[in-house]
Amino acid sequence: MPKCIIDGREAEFAPGQNLIEVAKTVGVEIPYFCYHPGLSVVAQCRMCTVEIEKMPKLQTACSTAATEGMVVKTRSARAIQNQKSVMEFLLINHPLDCPICDKAGECDLQDESFAYGSPYSRYTEERRTYLDLDMGPVIKKNMNRCIHCTRCIRFGTEVAGIHEMVAVQRGNNTEITTIDGRPLETDYAGNYADVCPTGSLTLKDFRFKKRAWFLKKTSTVCEGCAKGCNMELHQDGNVIYRSLPRENMEINKYWLCDEGRFNFHYVHDQRRVLNPAIASASGLQMTDWKAGIAAAKAALAGRKVAILAGSDLTLEEAKLLLEVAPKQFGGAPVFHFGTPGIKTVLDDAPADKILKRKSKTSNLNGVEKLGIKPYAGLPAGIDAVLVVRGGRAQLPTDLDQAKSLVGIGVFNQPQVAKFAAVLPGASFAEKDGTIVNYEGREQKIKRAINPIGKSKLLPEILMMWVNQ
Amino acid sequence: MLVKQKKSILSELYVLEIFKGLCITMKNMLFAKKVTIQYPEERRKYSERFRGQHYIKATNGVENCTACMLCPTVCPAECIHIEAGERPDKEKYPVKFEIDALRCCFCGMCEEACPKDAIKLSNIYEMSMTRREVWDKDFLLEQRGNK
Repeated sequence: MPKCIIDGREAEFAPGQNLIEVAKTVGVEIPYFCYHPGLSVVAQCRMCTVEIEKMPKLQTACSTAATEGMVVKTRSARAIQNQKSVMEFLLINHPLDCPICDKAGECDLQDESFAYGSPYSRYTEERRTYLDLDMGPVIKKNMNRCIHCTRCIRFGTEVAGIHEMVAVQRGNNTEITTIDGRPLETDYAGNYADVCPTGSLTLKDFRFKKRAWFLKKTSTVCEGCAKGCNMELHQDGNVIYRSLPRENMEINKYWLCDEGRFNFHYVHDQRRVLNPAIASASGLQMTDWKAGIAAAKAALAGRKVAILAGSDLTLEEAKLLLEVAPKQFGGAPVFHFGTPGIKTVLDDAPADKILKRKSKTSNLNGVEKLGIKPYAGLPAGIDAVLVVRGGRAQLPTDLDQAKSLVGIGVFNQPQVAKFAAVLPGASFAEKDGTIVNYEGREQKIKRAINPIGKSKLLPEILMMWVNQ
Repeated sequence: MLVKQKKSILSELYVLEIFKGLCITMKNMLFAKKVTIQYPEERRKYSERFRGQHYIKATNGVENCTACMLCPTVCPAECIHIEAGERPDKEKYPVKFEIDALRCCFCGMCEEACPKDAIKLSNIYEMSMTRREVWDKDFLLEQRGNK
């Protein structure tokens, strides 16, 4: 491998790697705004300029490929002077509104200005201000905070495949906006907020909910579709506030679709059944676990039962069901269900050119590998159904034909209006487990929060069922 | 080994010692300068930097607070609870601003951290109460004649 020297440290690199990436491998940090490893290089912000021996001028590290024997100085007097000047220029029009900005705490501009900038501004003229147009339901724009890095424009054209963000006007008057001020159309709009190095584009969903530094992060996997994108759940006080994409170059790279990003909302849905519930004349009646399990047992007693396992269960849960079914439910057949129209892995296909897949549950591949057959209407002679699912698998519409229905898992109240008993289970954020994505890749999901209300994990529920 | 000290008959009787003690008592009672005051008629003057009851400063009837959450971040007693919201005249404002008075240790860090000079500690030191008190936003805004 060829070698170069960065700040006196010898760094090995692959040919074609740029200096920012090479410097990261030896622990040298080069500040940057417009560069993003997943986007093309434009060398626009001029923050990453470094001094290279035998080159007369400073070079931008993001657009300079490392070469054999190159000697790079990132903290030389000229480089530092440049960083200070660039920082001062970027902050000329930047409002000092970190206290009301959602990006504060995880803001690149804030971090770099703290590390490389000057705490004093010499600017006395009036700062430029913009009126912001609405950008649709996902993104809130605040153009005053923008530093024109054009990451969002490049994300739109290069990743989302839609040229909707543009820079109009030039120079100091540059404004980043959508074409004709239309709302954003892409299903990947949440990523605009992620790539933005300042608080210009922020999530409406997360607006003023929590400051970034209060959030505890759990690395987990999205359960929105069979793709299995890696993501982080951010929680504080057992409440999930948002999910962000986590880098995994083999699956989702740096991105996450809006459907997966906002999927966690069902965990805190007002209508979610959080207590064991039994049917009564006036709708569902909330009770305790003992009465709930007794009612569930009574509803299935003496009937021919089929078990419907959602394909959003983890491998461990599905396997447990298969083990328990012959002994506790008299050898009831187990079927899997998840997305209408997607019965097997063969029906699954990419839903767009980026990440989404047609199967809207995370573990279709996994439950199939365990030998569970797809659900195709109630088999003859079956008059009771036990539905076990996470929160994502869509209930089949023909369940009403069964005389008695029992649910274990995450349900909201309209879904279970006709159920005889519901035992509240855990959603993907409340349990550990393994899921298998469409290409057969096994990934771990991790518990981010404790089960909400009186809900319990499936092994606990089945244990109580067996012992009561 | 215990050694029994020999004492004179005068000191054995303690009369002289009691008399000496009474002299000190009388001297202090009758002639010394008093250190107590007639509270609540008389009140002590405290420094402007005294850290008493909190209040939220308002400018033209609008609270200075922008719900940036720096005070709950630095608060060592975790007694400040803020919920942020948006309204037409102010981009971010505290919908809820509560200080759990019993948890507060009056360290004044919230005052130091505040970038908007919104939360302040006043000179008010009479905060005894008969129930667990949580000061809400309205109460904190009324202090010091705000509003």
